Amino acid sequence: MERTQELFERIELYLAKQMSVEETIAFEKEMTMNSELELEVEKHRELQRVLSDTDTLRFKEKLQKISEEIKQENSKSASISYSLFWKIAASIVILIGVGTLLWNTLNTSDDLMDLYTAYYEVYPVEDVTRGSAATELDLVMKNYEQGNYEKVVAILSQDTSFSLTEQMRLYLGNSYLNLGREQDALKQFEQIRLDSKYSENANWYSALTYLKLKEVKKASVLLRKIIDFDGIYREKAQELLTKLED
Amino acid sequence: MSTNEERKILDGIRDGNEQAIKVFYQNNYSYIKSYILNNSGDTRDAEDVFQDALVVIYEKLKEGSLNIHENVTVRSYLYGVCKNLWLSRLRKRKKMIVDPGIIKENEGTDISISEELEKKEREHLYRKYFLALSDSCKEILRLVFDGKSMKEIASITKYSEGHARKKKYDCKKSLIEKLEKDPMYKELKVTSIKE
Repeated sequence: MERTQELFERIELYLAKQMSVEETIAFEKEMTMNSELELEVEKHRELQRVLSDTDTLRFKEKLQKISEEIKQENSKSASISYSLFWKIAASIVILIGVGTLLWNTLNTSDDLMDLYTAYYEVYPVEDVTRGSAATELDLVMKNYEQGNYEKVVAILSQDTSFSLTEQMRLYLGNSYLNLGREQDALKQFEQIRLDSKYSENANWYSALTYLKLKEVKKASVLLRKIIDFDGIYREKAQELLTKLED
Repeated sequence: MSTNEERKILDGIRDGNEQAIKVFYQNNYSYIKSYILNNSGDTRDAEDVFQDALVVIYEKLKEGSLNIHENVTVRSYLYGVCKNLWLSRLRKRKKMIVDPGIIKENEGTDISISEELEKKEREHLYRKYFLALSDSCKEILRLVFDGKSMKEIASITKYSEGHARKKKYDCKKSLIEKLEKDPMYKELKVTSIKE
C-alpha cells in the first residue's frame, strides 16, 4: 500500500474521532476489506499511544544524555591519565636523567593503576552454564552480584568439599582482586586450562592483575595472546597494549 | 544496602532525578555491559538493554505496580530485567531456543514480567527511533502527539500550515519506515499478528 499524505491524514482523522458518522462507517468497512490498511491504522494508533507519553519519553532522553555524559567523562579521564603519563615520563627523561629512575617508577605506578581502573570490570555472572549444586551456587552468586566478595571467598575457599569449576575460579579470582589479594587471584586464573572456553577471560583478568601489580611485561605477554586469540577482549587488549607500549 | 538507600534509588528514578540516576547508572552499567558482551552482544545492545530496563522500572514506579520481593535489591531486580530483555532479544535475533530456566528466580523477576517485557518491546523501539529523528522532526511530532492542532503547530514552528502538514507527514513516514527496517520490529509484528 502506497503511503501518501492524504492516507495519513485520513487515518489521523479517524483515530482522533473527527470523521463524520458516514465517513467512519465507510473507513471501517474499507479496513475490514484491506488488511494492510488495518495494520497501518494500528501502527499509527500505537505510535500515538506510545509517543504521547511524554514523561517516559523524557525519561528515556535523560538516560541517553546521562550515558553520553558518562562516556565523555570516561574518555576524558582516560586521556588525562594517559597524557599525564606522557608528560611525567617526558619531563623525567629530559630534565633529570638516569638517576631519577625511582621517580619514574613511582609516577608510572599511579598511571598503571589508572589504566587498571579504567579497564577493570568485574566478571559478570553468566547464568547459562550454571551447574547443578544450585543452593550453594545461588548463595555464592548472590553474594558475588552484591559485591560481598569476602563472603564469596569464605564460601569458596574454605569449603573443600566444593569442587570449583573454571567459571567459579573466575568469580573467586575476581573476588580476590576486589579484596586486594592479587597473588591469590592469579592462582585462580592460572588454574584455568588453556583449552577451556574461559581461557580468554582468564588471560584478560590475569593481564589486569599483573597491571595492578605493575608487572607490565607479564601483562603485555598476556595481552598479545588475547589479541592473537581474536575473541571478545581483542579490542580492549589492543587498546591497553598500545597505551602500555607508548 | 539499607532499605533507606533502596528507597532513595527508587525515588530518584521515579522523580527523574538526574544526579541520582547517573550514580545508579554508573554503578551498574558496567556489570550489564560485561554480561551482554560475554553473551553474544555488543556495546550498543548493552546500552539499549540497560536503558530499556530502567524505562520499565520507571514506568512501573509511575503506575505503582513495581513489585520487588522483600529480600531483593533494586540492583538485582534491574539485572533480572536486563537479562530477561537480552535473552528475549537474542532468542529473536538468532531464532535460537534459550532455556527459560537460566533466569534465576531470586532476581525478583518471574514469568509474568517476561510476558510484560515482551509487550513493551515495541514501545522501546518507537521511542528509540523517535529520538533518533532530526530535531525539526522531533519538534513537530512532539506537538502532534501532544494533541496540538495544525494551526497551533504552524504558529509555534513558524511554518505555513501547508508546510507543517507536509513536514508532519514526511517525519511520520520516515519514522515508520525506519521502524519497519529494524529486524526486531518485524519479529514483534509477526507475534502480534499471531495474537
